[in-house]
Amino acid sequence: MNENIFVFNPTVPRLDGSQHLRHALDKLTGKVVGFIDNGKPNFNYLVDDIAELLVSKYGVATVIKRRKRGPSVPAPDMMIKELSGQCDAVITGSGD
Amino acid sequence: MIETSGDLDTINKLYRERRWGDGLPVVPPTADRVERMLRHTRRAPSDVVATIAPGFGVATVERIAINAVLAGCDPEYLPVLIAVTEAVSASQFNLQAIQTTTHPVAVWLVINGPISQRLKLNSGTNCLGPGAWANATLGRAMRLIQQNIGGALPGETDHATQGQPGKYTFCCAENEAGSPWEPLHVERGFAPECSTVTVVGAAGTSNMITHAKDAGDLLRVIAGTMAVPASLEYVYGGEPWLMLAPEHAHILKHDGLSKAEVKRRLWEQSKMPAHRLAAKDLARTQNARRAELGEIGPDTLLPISIDPEDISIIVAGGPGTHSVYVPVFGTSRSVTREVLLSDEAAMINAL
Repeated sequence: MNENIFVFNPTVPRLDGSQHLRHALDKLTGKVVGFIDNGKPNFNYLVDDIAELLVSKYGVATVIKRRKRGPSVPAPDMMIKELSGQCDAVITGSGD
Repeated sequence: MIETSGDLDTINKLYRERRWGDGLPVVPPTADRVERMLRHTRRAPSDVVATIAPGFGVATVERIAINAVLAGCDPEYLPVLIAVTEAVSASQFNLQAIQTTTHPVAVWLVINGPISQRLKLNSGTNCLGPGAWANATLGRAMRLIQQNIGGALPGETDHATQGQPGKYTFCCAENEAGSPWEPLHVERGFAPECSTVTVVGAAGTSNMITHAKDAGDLLRVIAGTMAVPASLEYVYGGEPWLMLAPEHAHILKHDGLSKAEVKRRLWEQSKMPAHRLAAKDLARTQNARRAELGEIGPDTLLPISIDPEDISIIVAGGPGTHSVYVPVFGTSRSVTREVLLSDEAAMINAL
């Protein structure tokens, strides 16, 4: 019969449970919305269509569109700084 | 800590059920084993080495040691894994993408300097194959750190379409004695007596067997192997790696080529017409490389990397006419870090 022993759990707590929105928007009217296009072919068309809807249907004041070099490339610091400084909300996504 | 039966089968069942392993049997990380490992660093167990994407789990020295024990590492391997953990967390390595992509990318560890001999790392015959304890367990520990600290669980956050065997373990040393050129770490600015680890986001290995006996012939067939249209290198401008057999490296040196000249010639000769890419991939290339190359048309010659120096070369392996092309995850750049030894280990190293 083997005696009991103590072993370590090799994992660490994941951040999933602690993520939360920085702040929520109560309306879109008059807001500035940014897009980070992931650079996949055709995603720019989806961005164009959604941008048009945001302005015509929801009263968004301005849409700022920026494009990354590719989906697996992080957005450059300059792009993040620009969008976070000017936008009320930024939409990132994956499309093809 | 968790109390469990000391029976090895029961312990392995526990780790398998909780998905704390890689599918192979594990060494139980008991307090004694972890403590023995922690003696091989000057750093405190609670010291934070890095956070590991995508879960951004905190990699303390102790947590690294636990995963090292789990992988079967000898205690004196710990400083290598601390350096590895620092290296993979550098922003240019792009671990967030590596850990979550459908791409088969694995983290390849390349060890340089005197620590290779001290830990009996294999740099020669079968250096990427089985047999050497340090190669096998260090690469395995890297994978367990990615999974257990970074949270890259296969099928949940790790979405590799097929993955590759290198995701179990992928580690070797450079065959510095068999190389006619300066080793990788010296090329990257470290002193020859330093020990370093370099992490590479490797897509796999492609064998290049050739009995070419002159530099021109050899470079022509190597460049031809590199020019693969279904790869990310040409889409983004990558960082391709070559693991040259000593025999091939000496042919190049004998014909008067430095490592830098080999890189320059391969960069020129591996340029590929853009029309060889699939239409969708060409569109991605046009977006990704416009700033570098201007407007890209079907006849544009695409270089495999932005700069010839982005091609990395090591010499490894034993006798034979086989070299290896290692395509890389296109948006990752390799990172080299010095392995800092404990006082005791440094003293042994100096003998």
